Amino acid sequence: MSPVLAAETAGSFPLLTAVVVLPAIGALVTALVSKRRPELAKQCAVLFAVATGALTIAVLAGFDTHAAGFQMIDHVRWVQDPQISWTMGVDGISLWMVVLTGILFPIAMLGAPPHHDEKPFYAWLLLLEAGCLGAFLALDLFVFFLMFEIVLVPMYFLISGWGYEGRRYAAMKFFLYTMFGSAFMLVGTVALAYLHAKGGPVTFDLRTIAEHQGVLSPQTGRWLFLSFAIAFGVKVPLVPLHTWLPDAHTQAPTGGSVILAGVMLKLGTYGFLRFGLYVFPEASVYFAPAMITLGVAGIIYGAICATMQQDLKRLVAYSSVAHLGFIILGTFSLTTQGIDGGVLQMINHGVSTGALFLLVGMIYERRHTREIAKLKGLQRSAPVMAGVFTLVMLSSIGLPGLNGFVGEYLTLLGAFLTHRWWAVVAVTGVILASLYLLWAYQRVFHGTPDEANADMPDLRWTERLVMAPLIVIIVFMGVYPKPVLDRIEPSVKKLVQHIETNTHYREPKAPKVRPAPAAGGQTASQGKAGK
Amino acid sequence: MTSLLFAQLGTPHRIQTPSVAWSGLLPVLVLLGGAVVLMVVGALLPRRSRHSWHLWLTLLIAAGSIGCAVPLWFRVRDHGPLSILRDAVRVDGLALFLGIVIVVGVMLAALLTDGYLRREELEGPEPYVLLMLSATGGLLMASANDLIVMFLGLEILSLAVYVLAGLHVRRLRSGEAAMKYFVLGGFSSAFFLYGIALAYGATGSTNLTDIQRFLATNTLTNNGLLLASFALLLVGFGFKVAAAPFHSWAPDVYEGSPSPVVSFMASAVKAAAFAGLIRVFVYAFALDRHDWQPIVYVVAVLTLLVGSVLAVVQTNVKRMLAYSSINHAGFVLVGVQAASDRGVRSALFYLATYTFMVAGSFGVVTIVGRRGDNRHQLDDYKGLARTEPLLAFAFLVFLLAQAGVPFTSGLWAKFYVIGAAVEARSFWLALVAMLSTVISAFLYLRIVLAMYGGADEADEAAPAVPRLRIPFAARIALVVSVVATIGFGLVPGPLTHASKTAVPKIAAGK
Amino acid sequence: MGQYLPVVAMLVLAVVFAILSFAASKLLAPRRPSAAKSSPYECGIVPSQEPPERFPVRFYLVAMIFIVFDIEIIFMYPYAVIYRDLGAFGLVEVLTFAIAVFASFVYLIANGALDWGPAKRLGRRDPQMSATRTTTSTVRRVGLEGRPAGDEEVAA
Repeated sequence: MSPVLAAETAGSFPLLTAVVVLPAIGALVTALVSKRRPELAKQCAVLFAVATGALTIAVLAGFDTHAAGFQMIDHVRWVQDPQISWTMGVDGISLWMVVLTGILFPIAMLGAPPHHDEKPFYAWLLLLEAGCLGAFLALDLFVFFLMFEIVLVPMYFLISGWGYEGRRYAAMKFFLYTMFGSAFMLVGTVALAYLHAKGGPVTFDLRTIAEHQGVLSPQTGRWLFLSFAIAFGVKVPLVPLHTWLPDAHTQAPTGGSVILAGVMLKLGTYGFLRFGLYVFPEASVYFAPAMITLGVAGIIYGAICATMQQDLKRLVAYSSVAHLGFIILGTFSLTTQGIDGGVLQMINHGVSTGALFLLVGMIYERRHTREIAKLKGLQRSAPVMAGVFTLVMLSSIGLPGLNGFVGEYLTLLGAFLTHRWWAVVAVTGVILASLYLLWAYQRVFHGTPDEANADMPDLRWTERLVMAPLIVIIVFMGVYPKPVLDRIEPSVKKLVQHIETNTHYREPKAPKVRPAPAAGGQTASQGKAGK
Repeated sequence: MTSLLFAQLGTPHRIQTPSVAWSGLLPVLVLLGGAVVLMVVGALLPRRSRHSWHLWLTLLIAAGSIGCAVPLWFRVRDHGPLSILRDAVRVDGLALFLGIVIVVGVMLAALLTDGYLRREELEGPEPYVLLMLSATGGLLMASANDLIVMFLGLEILSLAVYVLAGLHVRRLRSGEAAMKYFVLGGFSSAFFLYGIALAYGATGSTNLTDIQRFLATNTLTNNGLLLASFALLLVGFGFKVAAAPFHSWAPDVYEGSPSPVVSFMASAVKAAAFAGLIRVFVYAFALDRHDWQPIVYVVAVLTLLVGSVLAVVQTNVKRMLAYSSINHAGFVLVGVQAASDRGVRSALFYLATYTFMVAGSFGVVTIVGRRGDNRHQLDDYKGLARTEPLLAFAFLVFLLAQAGVPFTSGLWAKFYVIGAAVEARSFWLALVAMLSTVISAFLYLRIVLAMYGGADEADEAAPAVPRLRIPFAARIALVVSVVATIGFGLVPGPLTHASKTAVPKIAAGK
Repeated sequence: MGQYLPVVAMLVLAVVFAILSFAASKLLAPRRPSAAKSSPYECGIVPSQEPPERFPVRFYLVAMIFIVFDIEIIFMYPYAVIYRDLGAFGLVEVLTFAIAVFASFVYLIANGALDWGPAKRLGRRDPQMSATRTTTSTVRRVGLEGRPAGDEEVAA
């Protein structure tokens, strides 16, 4: 290990490694709980999930707000040739993904308990958490690939083991689609590392590869970008590759849906930011119009499909396609505002769609159907649930004052600066969102309940407790997003600068939205040194 | 005539007898001698015994063979390869690495065999003797530096396996498998021999070093003969590793042969054949790589696709695994095709890790097959996770490893192969390989789904079947395989390092 | 390629000779076919099924053991001629060879390859050997075990 790398880890507690390893240990411990004490498995799993959540909050607390680069780096050499290292690091972009993951997992565990085989369910969930956190924190291409790929296995088992009628088909489809993308990504990753090495020692270190641009020809970079884009595009999902999502979401157990929508889809959009824009700035600029087109297509297509759904859960699933389209739009607008908005939207979507899936799951628990036509007038029988649903739904639509608005606004603003007409089309997506969600709400909650719906019980106290943190986040981020944005922005600014130093692209001057923290000088010099 | 004879007798002259560095051959000799001893002692003692001493003796002999190979490994590493028997046998890292892999394959297969023989009432020392003799051939093949010696190794290896395939005398399919394997194997051996003849015709030697030297110093004006020998040798090797289009025997033979024997076929036999393939093509024909690489490229693509696509329609787990082993052979071929240090290294790593995966897989198949070795349909695996959670978990590990899921040795194996292919600029081949994995993953998931899919309401009424019996020895084999598969998945370093050390120098470009 | 000419010539000659003799016998031989002549047995009885050709497999075993010793002798002869010249090395080599052959011989004898007559030794515990077994039961037994159900007609 070189002295520089040693210095990075020396003396401090490897917090990020602990964040990844703790849930994995939890999975193992949960799996080893005695068969005769199933209730112990749940307690044990929730304990580990909460502990992990606490660790992610510790990461948030220890995060240096004004630093743009990666922080708290853990670095351990894993394989010598080619050089693969267990490198974990966090910056403003991944920080929130990590916190989101840390919060959503305990909520999913508490809010949607399985009906049978509790022990393996929780063990798989914890393993999934470890994989997701690892993917968000990995600063080594190969470790990222490992984490990106490992999450498939627990998710596959969650869907196929605890899902609904069509679970086997959905699980298989999910696994094969994502693996199809990963196949491209593995070849792309390996090719990137080997071509970047130019016969020298092969390294998979993200920063080494990303900061030394110009080694690959633009042509090669574009091919490699495409190979990554297919993998991330499946995961996001981008429109032509999205067909696994409605099935997987609908058939997954509630907890699985929450995680799938809240965390796992973000692996794709996060991947685009970290391994698309950062590693291939030239190709990202080149493909930005195409990606934005796909993003906008996703917004419109997802919204139209959601409008036509008969199944409440499927509706929410398609609304995810639309929301993820916004994130892609923001990301590939390549402006500070757009990317800020994209990252914010990732958090928002995780919280609000996660909450929506929880609510739909609770309705299903009570009524054993998700069909909109069979639900009616729930507002009468379950007023609290209706209230919570309204709030979450409005956040999902993007009502000012709630979190969804901030993200969507920034995204559209950023997109407007570089791709004006696409932004104009995307705005219709917001309108469509209010159409399908309000219409669904109207059909499900309004009116006089028929016999089956009349005596549906309202939210229990435990369920209210589970929903409470999500609602707090929704309102807080809508009213006062500054602490969140303050941490995102330096990293995003650095990313945009990285693109500017390495391509001919120049970020258009934007009308000042809010004063930006001064962290530019240092990052610019770093970017130049890299080149 | 008689006067001539007397004249010769009358003038006795010392014949130059070869001096043999026996120490270099010790791993082979231990295995061979051990096999003969086991055969004789086993014949004189009763066939049945409660103590499975056949198994333990086999393990002891195999361990002895490895024990002889390890000091050689360090000697070769520090002082360069040993050339024995006038350069007909070359003990280098490649030979020792794959030799150890083959012997480990024997040990795992032997562990599975014990319980199998008891269950099927076929007790006797013969399967162990044949396993060891076959491995002797494999070791010889791995260290052969002469095409004739390689052919000898190939035949010793194959003949024993033909018999092993027909081990289950009361099972018609076993006999059928033996017959098919024998006839087609004999056919491919003939091709191989003819390839040797043509290579001799083209280069004037059967010694690989001489061939390489000849090709380095001479430019053939007409290389038709050489190309024909490439093709024929490739047919011979392709058959043994079950590469498309010479794969068609594999599903039938794998399905019919006793399951422990299949684990040997898929691990040790493949390793030996690939050792030969690498020695002949990557090393002896190193300078003509531009002639044979395209052929191997096409064969690899075909093998990958056939192995994955045709597996999808199978319902018999043994046949599925047979096709998947074809797919894996394709992966190793991708490594061979790179014709580079990294390529050979990746092939070695792949073969070593695959040995554990496949031995474990067929170990589970052996156990689930129950008495008669017939329960190999997908339905027979239904609900295995409920009845035998640990067995199902072991199978899950092997299947996921074969699909290349992270933190198993399978992913590293694929990763190194892809790295080698990318380094050789065969991007499309790498992509085809990974996409074929996705298709194969479908097949692995079908098995996983059968085991873990949860019981449907309809299945609950299914008649209760007696619990599976998992013999102690098979348990050992499964545990070792699981530990190796996950262990090399978490810490691939030692094996990577060993495979790196094992690779001999390839002759540089012309 | 000139040195291969004799081989090619030999090959061509062999093929020509085979074709010629085949054609000659077809053309020259007198042929008067009749139903009786083309039946398997020219004794007048039309066989209703394939004749069972069962005879002890030991004949083969004995023949094979003979071949093993044959080969040993083939190697012994040349050794006997020049054993002085080969010295200790030759002795070791030929002993190794003899031991290998002997080991296989021991194996054969121990497994009853030379036990002739009623199978008293094998009949002890081997489920395959029993007095109650007849031709038909043997065939059935082989046919039933180790095959999927519904496949029995083929073997029966």
